[in-house]
Amino acid sequence: MAGLNLVLVTGRSLSQGEGLDIGKTTKDYFEGVAIIELDGEDLEALGVVEGGKVKVETEYGSIVVRAIKSRRKHKGIAFMPMGPWASLVIDPNTYGSGMPTLKGIKARILPTDEKIPGIKEILERIYNIRVKEIPKETLSEGESVSTASRVIDNVACSFCGCLCDDLEVEVRNNRVVKVRKACSLGSSKLLHSRENRILNPYVRENGVLVRVDLRSAVKKAAEILANAKYPLLYGWSNTSVEAIRVGVELAEYIGGVFDNTSVICHGPTIQAVQEAGFVTSTLGKVKNYADLIIYWGCNPLNAHPRHLARYSAFAKGIYAKSRRDRKIVVIDVRETDTAKVADLFIKVKPNSDYELATALRMAIRGYDIESGKVAGVNVEKIRELAEMMVSAKFGVIFYGLGLTMTQGKGRNIEELIRLAQDLNEWTKFVAIPMRGHYNVVGANQVSTWTTGYAFSVDFRRGYPRYNPGVTSATDLLNNGDVDAALIVASDPVAHMPAKAVENLVKIPVVTLDPKWSLTAVASTVVIPVAMTGVEVGGTAYRMDKVPIRLKKLVEPPPGILSDEDVLRMILEEVKKLR
Amino acid sequence: MDLLIKNGFVYDPINGVNGEVLDIGVRGGKIVDPSEVDPREAKVIDARGKVVMPGGIDIHTHIAGPKVNTGRLMMPSDHYFSFMKFEKGVHRSGTGKYTPSTFLTGYRYARMGWTMAVEPATPPLKTLHTHEELDDTPMIDKLCFLLLDSNRILLDYLSQGDLDRFRTLIVWFLEATKSYAVKLVDPGVAISWSWGRGYGLDIDDEIEPYGITPRDIITSFCRVNQELKLPHTIHVHCNRLGIPGNYETTLKTMKSTSHLSVGGEVNIHITHAQYNSYSGESWFDLGSGSEEIAKYVNNHAHVSLDIGQIDFGTAITMTADAPFEYALFHLSRWKWGGAEVENEAASGIVPFKYRKRNFVNTIQWCIGLELTLLSKDLWRVILTTDHPNGAPFTRYPKIIALLMSKNYREEIFKKLSRRGLKKSILPSIDRELTLYDIAIITRAAPARLLGIDNFKGHLGVGADADVAIYDIDPEKIDLSRDYMKIKERFSRALYTIKGGEIVVKGGEIVKEVYGTTYAVKFREEIDKSLLKELEEKFREYYTISLSNYWIPEEGIRHLRYIYCG
Repeated sequence: MAGLNLVLVTGRSLSQGEGLDIGKTTKDYFEGVAIIELDGEDLEALGVVEGGKVKVETEYGSIVVRAIKSRRKHKGIAFMPMGPWASLVIDPNTYGSGMPTLKGIKARILPTDEKIPGIKEILERIYNIRVKEIPKETLSEGESVSTASRVIDNVACSFCGCLCDDLEVEVRNNRVVKVRKACSLGSSKLLHSRENRILNPYVRENGVLVRVDLRSAVKKAAEILANAKYPLLYGWSNTSVEAIRVGVELAEYIGGVFDNTSVICHGPTIQAVQEAGFVTSTLGKVKNYADLIIYWGCNPLNAHPRHLARYSAFAKGIYAKSRRDRKIVVIDVRETDTAKVADLFIKVKPNSDYELATALRMAIRGYDIESGKVAGVNVEKIRELAEMMVSAKFGVIFYGLGLTMTQGKGRNIEELIRLAQDLNEWTKFVAIPMRGHYNVVGANQVSTWTTGYAFSVDFRRGYPRYNPGVTSATDLLNNGDVDAALIVASDPVAHMPAKAVENLVKIPVVTLDPKWSLTAVASTVVIPVAMTGVEVGGTAYRMDKVPIRLKKLVEPPPGILSDEDVLRMILEEVKKLR
Repeated sequence: MDLLIKNGFVYDPINGVNGEVLDIGVRGGKIVDPSEVDPREAKVIDARGKVVMPGGIDIHTHIAGPKVNTGRLMMPSDHYFSFMKFEKGVHRSGTGKYTPSTFLTGYRYARMGWTMAVEPATPPLKTLHTHEELDDTPMIDKLCFLLLDSNRILLDYLSQGDLDRFRTLIVWFLEATKSYAVKLVDPGVAISWSWGRGYGLDIDDEIEPYGITPRDIITSFCRVNQELKLPHTIHVHCNRLGIPGNYETTLKTMKSTSHLSVGGEVNIHITHAQYNSYSGESWFDLGSGSEEIAKYVNNHAHVSLDIGQIDFGTAITMTADAPFEYALFHLSRWKWGGAEVENEAASGIVPFKYRKRNFVNTIQWCIGLELTLLSKDLWRVILTTDHPNGAPFTRYPKIIALLMSKNYREEIFKKLSRRGLKKSILPSIDRELTLYDIAIITRAAPARLLGIDNFKGHLGVGADADVAIYDIDPEKIDLSRDYMKIKERFSRALYTIKGGEIVVKGGEIVKEVYGTTYAVKFREEIDKSLLKELEEKFREYYTISLSNYWIPEEGIRHLRYIYCG
């Protein structure tokens, strides 16, 4: 059978993002995520029609998904949205960083007649989880008390790291009925906030999730955590600072590991800051001043949809008044949607961002670059970009997972930060990471001020220790080192590498989530919580570390408490046991 | 439970008590007349042969907020070797020597007998972050100073000459952010730094695009500060910090507000003055300018200062003086953190090492001590290290010992740069401070300068029961010769009492408490039309809305207002 060797890139996509709210067992999620985007020519070479099935094989596993023809050309590169399908073929090794390798993986693509496994099949066949009994729960409509609605303005959106705080949300009968100003991801989260909800606590008995009352679920959760020798407390990027603070206290009390999802997003950025420092600004500075904006390894039009209009390329600022006053550059391995709006697109060879950053550092210093091409880019183009950088009045590089997840990881960011630092000899330049979840920065902040470290904090010796290649959630799970887990506001079963998931589902897992995540389905104890930023307030930190208060818009479903409250109950219960 | 502290040598400068043997009574978190406390019901502490002082107050210490946390983030090496273990039911864990985590910050202050600390530089937009960290800082009372010198909206009004709106907005910013006083850092520099300029900005240089000077900023803020009757004066980090010859700028800065002082009242505080007291024209002919600074302060009652003493070894410099940090990065060549906050401020972080044999560092070390020892009025000279810039606050006991003992200073001189010593006046100073003096510069004076000396910084009836007891017998220990004892005993308080509760015993934490966060509140209402205008400005300048900028009271653990006006 004719096969094709390609470079596989995984990442966020719009439908993957929206799918989080409507549920991962839905058809929409399956259709949007169990796919691989291929270049038209590659698709033709494979002899597969658009929508046909292909088998993706890597050193780490294989999976059958649907082939989609990409709207843009990126011959030799294939894209898969992150999710349970991609998790089966990504490289679980963290090489000391805590971060699995999620981009730039060598893959072989083959046409196939095999069936595309659904979510249930993946869970049952590959991970051995009994899911027949996913409890079906519907949030009752409640009595129509009145038809009067109220509009809440200046609502901060709790979806991505942009935390846009200008949303207008219309609420009627304790339901969000209309959302203005938000992007599709943000409004999807708010409008679908009642869907796919967990409405009762569950405890697994004889392999089956059984409905229990809150007190028993908390008790069981506390027993699991108090009896564990080395528990992992993971997640934390989709909840409030208030909840995270209790989480750290709990981890400290039981001598566990406190890790947040930056381990699979910008953990390498943090490691780079530890090496080199940083040079950054808040987004308002970019909006008001930046006349050169570089998006490197990130695709905000898909992952942070309002970023360009509100904070960067199209924003109306004091000195840079509009798009016309700014030059836009996109550096990526494929021509993304964001690349379409750029003045200059630089296509970098996968896994060579470090080389490109180094070449730029040389070019701005006027050093000779002997080779004609670096990282697949002509040296003339590199000089052109270097010239743009030096002659800008205020330049910014926004960088994303395209740098943190590929080969070199933190070293890529370190070089990029040094590039931005160097540029300050000539002009003003900053670099800002595009953080994903709405409060992943908050998780880093709390972790840092309470322990000194931003992620992968190990309390086993009674004080905080940090060693990302060892104490990260990924490494601990890959190696099967932990004997229990508390998962808050995250879905590792959907997004961690298969090897880590295999070990996670073997140990008792307590999950706090408002929705039926795949992790909740696979857990020992499931405790439903209110949605932060919709049903309970709290603080979250924007990608540029600006703290913003989230609002309570509607009442949570009856009997459902916040993450913070449930965590406090667990902590109190643990204190009785240990 | 009531407390009765019996027979200690009490040093309470606000009440003029200088080492007299007295009893101190404590009830309901306050100091009461000892006769009111029934010794059979109360816990009695035998303080015979011990020193009793009010709890220490640190008027300038970077312990919480965005730049401190980034400092922690940048320095995993600092956190790897220095830690405190979690003790069930007693205290939390923590790490870090130079940028300790929040819990550890509180514990370390308490162990030294300090009960209050001021975070001196918070950018308004991120002050919610500062409060969240202060909320996680146990054992001490706290408050923060607000960075306002490069605030675009304020400077808009100032440059237009609209002093009414300028004044009202200062009120609004302080109230919105629940902070305590106005901080000016290298006044106006963050405006220039937006374009990468501003290094060496002097007090009479014009700031683009406003056409005003740092002098205008300083005097305008000073005037408003006085009108509003804020409890603390403007808190100024002078222009040209860390640049040879800058003592002249410092003199100009102090003089700039002298005509505004009413009846000789203090109206400007020069912070970490050591960094602003350099004579000479370059690093090669650097000299100490402390004599000139001290002379001005001695002759003019309208100025107070804190010294910003350095100690040798590692430090992490962090300040809202961004261009200076960038320059320092070129000296240290290790790590540089630079951050800017829209329309408000910029900052920098550079880890640094002060070396004993280094000419410049030797002079710096001398200047801080000189500024204190040359002072004729210690009520206006406060002990600080500008933690963690000059040294961590845990070096206070060492600096106290240096101030109290010429012998100790001479011991250290042996290891310093001789050329540096020649350019300093410290070797010629014989003065040794007394315990009473120390109680002034670490307790009474900071309380007075913060405007809270009616209930803090003293042991009179009605004061908050924040007390430190040290195992020092001034009748037995020769303070000048036994300087190591001074250092040791101040490092580990025998007892620290916070709000009437024993929180430290024998230098160890025995109970965790959380102090109060103080903020100013004004009686005047803010004009509604101005708020409308402000909303517009926010839409234009900021990336968050005006309503989300306001920090709600319930976001802060124990908030207490100090009313002004």
